[in-house]
Parts: sequence; C-alpha cells; structure tokens
Amino acid sequence: MLEVSGLSVDYILDRGNVRAVDDVSFTVSRGEFLGIVGESGCGKSTLLFAVAQLLAPPAEVAAGTVTFDGTNLVGLTDGQLSAMRWRDMSVVMQSAMNALNPVKTIGAQFKDAMRAHGKFTGQEITTRSAEVLKMVGIDPVHLGSYPHQLSGGMRQRSMIAMAMLFTPDLIIMDEPTSALDVVAQRSLMVQIKELQLAFGFAVIFVTHDMSLISHFSDRLMVMYAGQVDELGVTKTIFDRPLHPYTQGLLEAFPSIRGPRVPLKGIPGNPPDLSRVPSGCRFRPRCPYAIDKCAELAPDLYPLDGSLVRCLRREDGSLAS
Amino acid sequence: MTDEPPRTELLRTESLTRHFKIGGALSRRTLHAVDDVSFAIGEREIVALAGESGSGKSTIARVLARIYKPTSGEVFFEGKPLSSMTSRQERLRYSSLVPMVFQDPFSSINPVFRVQHGMLRCLKLHRPSLSATQRLEEAARVFEVVGLNPDMLQRFPYELSGGQRQRVGFAQALAMRPRLILADEPVSMLDVSIRIGLLNLMAKLRDEEGVSILYITHDIASARYVADRLIVMYAGQIAETGPIEDVLTHPRHPYTQLLLSAVPDPRAPLSVAAETDRGEPPRVIDPTPGCRFRWRCPLAIEKCTQVTPELAELRPTHSAACHVAQTSSEEVKAFT
Repeated sequence: MLEVSGLSVDYILDRGNVRAVDDVSFTVSRGEFLGIVGESGCGKSTLLFAVAQLLAPPAEVAAGTVTFDGTNLVGLTDGQLSAMRWRDMSVVMQSAMNALNPVKTIGAQFKDAMRAHGKFTGQEITTRSAEVLKMVGIDPVHLGSYPHQLSGGMRQRSMIAMAMLFTPDLIIMDEPTSALDVVAQRSLMVQIKELQLAFGFAVIFVTHDMSLISHFSDRLMVMYAGQVDELGVTKTIFDRPLHPYTQGLLEAFPSIRGPRVPLKGIPGNPPDLSRVPSGCRFRPRCPYAIDKCAELAPDLYPLDGSLVRCLRREDGSLAS
Repeated sequence: MTDEPPRTELLRTESLTRHFKIGGALSRRTLHAVDDVSFAIGEREIVALAGESGSGKSTIARVLARIYKPTSGEVFFEGKPLSSMTSRQERLRYSSLVPMVFQDPFSSINPVFRVQHGMLRCLKLHRPSLSATQRLEEAARVFEVVGLNPDMLQRFPYELSGGQRQRVGFAQALAMRPRLILADEPVSMLDVSIRIGLLNLMAKLRDEEGVSILYITHDIASARYVADRLIVMYAGQIAETGPIEDVLTHPRHPYTQLLLSAVPDPRAPLSVAAETDRGEPPRVIDPTPGCRFRWRCPLAIEKCTQVTPELAELRPTHSAACHVAQTSSEEVKAFT
C-alpha cells in the first residue's frame, strides 16, 4: 500500500547540505504495524515528515519516491495533498498539547477536519465525532472541552480519535506516548492495537523506546544516522538482533525482572549528520569494527529474512 | 547494595504538605499536590521517587529545592530545618549543596547565551574563590565527567540535542560540588543508548563522590538499575516505600502492582490481565477521607472509602499505605 523507495531528505543550510535521511526504502502493507526505532537525530521524525509530505524548509526531499495507493506523493501540490490528509492518511504528532488548538474545543477541531473534506451536516459531524471519541474510550461530553481540561492521556487519545474520523488507510504516529506515564502509555498502546485490529488501518509508529513496541509491531525498522540499519520481523529482531547497534540498543534496557546486571549502553554519541564517519556510520561506536569498516560503506544485505547493514554480517565473519 | 549498614541521614521530611489554591475568587478550591509525606534520604544513597504524572513527585522536588514553600510540615537538611535558613549565605549554601536537574532541558537553559554562560555564572556565584581561568577549567572538567566535549561550552543551546542539553544540566549541578542532587526525570528525554551512561554516572557519583541523589522518575526499570530505595507516590501521598528489590519482588500496594505490570518488557510475554485498567490518576481537589486509589482498585473494601490509609511497616523498612495489605499477612495481588 505504501512504498517508500530510495528516499533521501536534505536540510539546506548555509554551511552546506545535511542529509538527514539517506536512501531509505521500505513498504507497509494494509493493516500492518511497522515500528521505526532510533535515537534522536537519527532522522526518524524527518522520515515521517517526508512520508507525510509535511517537510518545511530548510528540509526537502532530495531523491526517491513515496508511493501511497499508487500515487507518488513527492511533488504533489498542497491542494492535492490536503485532500488526502485525514481522509486517506493521518498523522498523530508527538505532543498533543502542541498539536491541538488550545483556544478551540475538541469538537470544533473535529468539525474543522471534517468540513475540509466534504459537505457534512452538523448532525453528521456531531455523530461521527462522538463515535470516534467513544472508540478511544473518552466520554463524548468532552467534545465541548478545551484541550487544557483533559489529562495528557486523554489529549493524546483525542488526537488519535481525530486521526480516525475518516477511518484512513494509514495512520502515522510520531512518539505519541512519549509524554505519558507508563500506565497510560501501556493502555494507549493496547488501545491503538485494538483499534487497528478492528478497523484494519496500517500504522507506522516511530519511537525511541524499543521495548514499548516489542509486543505491538509486526515489523521493525532500526535507523541509525539517517540510514536503515536493520529491517525485519519484530520477533526475529528481538530474539536474534543482527546489527551491533540493534544488539546494543536491546542491551541498554534495564529490566525489572531477573538479576540486576550492570549495563554499558553504547559508548560514544550518535554522529553529527553533517560530519558522518567514513565507511560504516556506526563504526566509531561498534565493538566489532575492523579496518574494512572504515573504508567500505556497507549496503543493506538480506540475511535470514531480515535486512542488515553490516559488513561483518555480510561476509559472515561475525557469527551470532 | 541494599545490605549495607544504615546510612547517616542527610535530609528528612516530616509530614510535608503542599497545597495549591485554584479557581477564581468565588470558587476557591484547594489542590492537594503533596499530602503528609515523610521520608528520609541518607548519605551515599540514591532514592527513587516514582509515580504517574500528577502524583506530586515534582512538587516534592520543588519544595526541597525551595522553589515552593511547604504549606505545612518541615524539611530537615543535615538536621537543620529549612525554614530556619533565612540569611542569603545559608540559602546559597543550601542551593549549592542541593542543586536540581530539571525535567525539561529545552526550557532550563537560557537560549540567548552560549552554554558556558550559565555554567560560569553558577560557578561565580557558588564558588567565588575560583579565578576566571579556574572557572573555565572547572566547566570543562564537569563537561568531561558528564560525557560532553568541552567544545560544547561555546555552542548555543539550540545547537544541542535534547540529550546533550540534559547533560549540561547535570554538569551545572556537579560544578557546585553537591551533597544531594534533586534529579527530576533527568533521563526521560535522553536516548536509550545514552540513558544507561547517565544512570551509571549517577551510580558513580554516589559510589565515588559520596553524593546522594533523589531520582524522580516514572521509569521503574531505570530506578531499579540505580536506586537503593524506592518511594512510590500516588495522588500526592506515599503508597509504598522500601528497599527497591523488596518492593519490586513483593509489591504490596495494588498501585505498585499496577505500575509494575505496565512496564514494557520485551523479555516477558504480554500479559492480558494488565489491560483492564483504563483509569487515570485523580486530581486531588478538596479530597474527602478514604484511599485515593480506591476507584481503580479491585481490592477496595468498605473501609477504603472512609479512612485514609496510613503508611505502616509490613516488614522492617518496607511500608505500604493500604488497608488490605495491612490486614492480610500474605501478598494480595490486584494486578500481575
């Protein structure tokens, strides 16, 4: 349904262009839950914005296509895009407090979105708005509430309700749970999954917290420094991570069960995208790096049903 | 870590209470952000204060940092009540011994100055004996300690990532040679791979520098990783407290059990039983007596609607404020 192919995004800056997303390709099928994980600055949010065609200067798509239901979104005019937004594809932003208009009631904002996409009577709008709010477990009386009157979890859920007004084919979520505490986060994740099973929309879910989506996503894409490092079935990646970065990420989570073991995390910092290291971008932080890694930039290699960007996996010198 | 001999007490709160007046002149109401909270922090100890947003964790930190005055109750630092520290000198001394690292690194650094501006100013204020060169050296040293390149001192805040900004916050606290750092969600905005580094840094500060840390967090797993003791807050009150391993392996308060069941753990199978809770923490406005968790609690009994449960020891050093847990000798599971 969605096919992203060779997508690159540049930030055009005075001191030169910075490539935030570098040659990223992936597909999302109908009803699929794709998780994208990575650290801040790895380009995951930029990628989402590029997929949703929400990039604003200085960012622009440098190469590649985003094909959604047979249409290449890159290069469409704003008018053509806004006809699709909300109806075929919705975006749920990281901070609902910033995404909702603080001086309008929830109901008025739902109305705006619906009015933009067709002629609806007031009655139809109210009925549908109440319906979607109920779906996410919020009492429809809150259509008359302002965002500040709702708790963080309710605000985030009403954003998801708004995204579902037209039951789109694809909902893109950019860290929708990062502002919530753990109990609310868990119940929101379960709710998203239930809604997805009920209505069959596809979800692209971006997060920095791998453990969060371990039980919810079908496939997982790990990004590092603007590139895809590993792409595969979630369970496979958790059971047997191939890329050293993915391994490091998985080992960076303390657990509440089992023995208390000292963890190291991953040494060093993610690279500045304006000065990426030569060869493999993870090399300076990689415990398995060899000389060859500094010279050759690895491609994404297929291995055991996953894709992995690691030279030592490709030539088999790194056993699992 | 929990088997060490009892530590000397560094800071203690007694019945700490902080209320906020809300509403207009005609509808005066009182928000009970923190109600009757007593706990102690020892030397060389990391105490984790955990709870949902709105549970009063940050309010406690702000009272300890003297941003808010307590409505009632008292805080003792090195045995001396905070309310008695009135001179500028005493207040400055306290704020350098008990600095705070804030939750939001985007609003805690002045955006119009280079990063070094804030660093050097706090060094000038709190360590006046240092010369200008020494201040620069000290700033560079603490930057190294928190894992930042000293070149970053010359950058503007907007040039730094959220994680880097948060480490600037830690560096500022460290520069004051503190006894107790109040760390309000210090790692929640950091990247996973770097988070561990900072947690390790907190442990190092405790073990090598003898600094105590009040680690405020909603992330129980990270609390378990560094902390010696855990305090679980719910709706402004302490629900459960004790050595962290005891509390996590034998949670007695139903809220602690709910919190633990919600922690994402890729190594554990998904438990469906945990999904029954859709509740939200209450805003505690003009509360009536009774347990504040009773609306979400599957174990609630008649007594819970009438009497506010007090924190009581169930085992030595492990306490919970729950009528059901206090009357039953064995563990009762509300959420698994």
